[in-house]
Amino acid sequence: MNHFALTIVGRDRPGIVSQVTKILFNQGCNLADSSCSILGGQFAMILILGHPEFTNLESFGEAFKPLQETDLTVALRVLKPGGQTRSQIEGDICMISVYGSDKPGIVYRVAEVLGEKQVNITDLNTKLVGTEERPVYVMVIEAALPEGVEEEDVNGWLAPIRDDLQIDITVRIIPTVEL
Amino acid sequence: MAVRPILLYPDPMLKQVAKSVEELDETVVAVVQDLVDTMIDAGHSVGVAAPQIGVLRRVVVVDVSKSKLGKENNHGLLEMVNPEIIEKSGSTTMREGCMSVPDYTGNVTRPDHIVVEFTDRTGQLRVIEATGFEAVAIQHELDHLDGMLFLDRVSSLKTDLYRRKGK
Repeated sequence: MNHFALTIVGRDRPGIVSQVTKILFNQGCNLADSSCSILGGQFAMILILGHPEFTNLESFGEAFKPLQETDLTVALRVLKPGGQTRSQIEGDICMISVYGSDKPGIVYRVAEVLGEKQVNITDLNTKLVGTEERPVYVMVIEAALPEGVEEEDVNGWLAPIRDDLQIDITVRIIPTVEL
Repeated sequence: MAVRPILLYPDPMLKQVAKSVEELDETVVAVVQDLVDTMIDAGHSVGVAAPQIGVLRRVVVVDVSKSKLGKENNHGLLEMVNPEIIEKSGSTTMREGCMSVPDYTGNVTRPDHIVVEFTDRTGQLRVIEATGFEAVAIQHELDHLDGMLFLDRVSSLKTDLYRRKGK
């Protein structure tokens, strides 16, 4: 089985998912992990898929043409063997909520600190909310903390950004429980 | 007295609604004991529900006293027949894993304060107030009696659902 990462983006409307998955089904693809969401006015799909024979974009032939004809942008990435499986993520799971009046650099400043401290961001979503006069930026990060790192440590690392950018940041660890 | 194998999803038994216990006879006591034995055998897990060992009756056991999160705040070993949550409030999120759904964990938000009524193995009616991890554990086990898995409660698969780190 060869694996691919497929991304599809286009103006949101009902029917995109069915249009895309019908093609993939007819081609004999297996869908594995996927994430599809509305971002702004666009619908964005990211799919990891497998196919027993296909090896590259050419293998799909004209299959994606109907998508392009309906103004969807299609990109296919061929994965190296093993590229479809997630590496083991260790460490406590932590949610970081960041929000404040919109200004440049919020995402970068927070991500920079987390990257330096080897915090593995596993999910990140941002949204511009509020009114046109008073735009508010909201970001929610899910991250895996390195061994031994506590909630207070993350709070401490982010405190200078909180003061600098006048934004609110809360950090909370989600305990993992075996039931 | 026996350690019973834990059923794994997609065993259909895990999606059924368990029947109330009408009479607390020796078969019920035997189920309670099997649940305790099975819980302790599973590296002292914090709870097991009867459907997980293939018994469709409303019986669960919970004991968070041996776990890091629950050792400060618990009622010790709870053997619950026909448990019913009569009050709930607050909210807490934990990343839950389940012996019947191995290798996956997901974020579940539940009330963090509950009042639960049940009959113990001696036939005594009890009402307890549980908070924090104990409250979460009780609700997780009670869900099994209604054919609910934590998978029914995760709000988003986005990254909510992870392969759990190896034991």
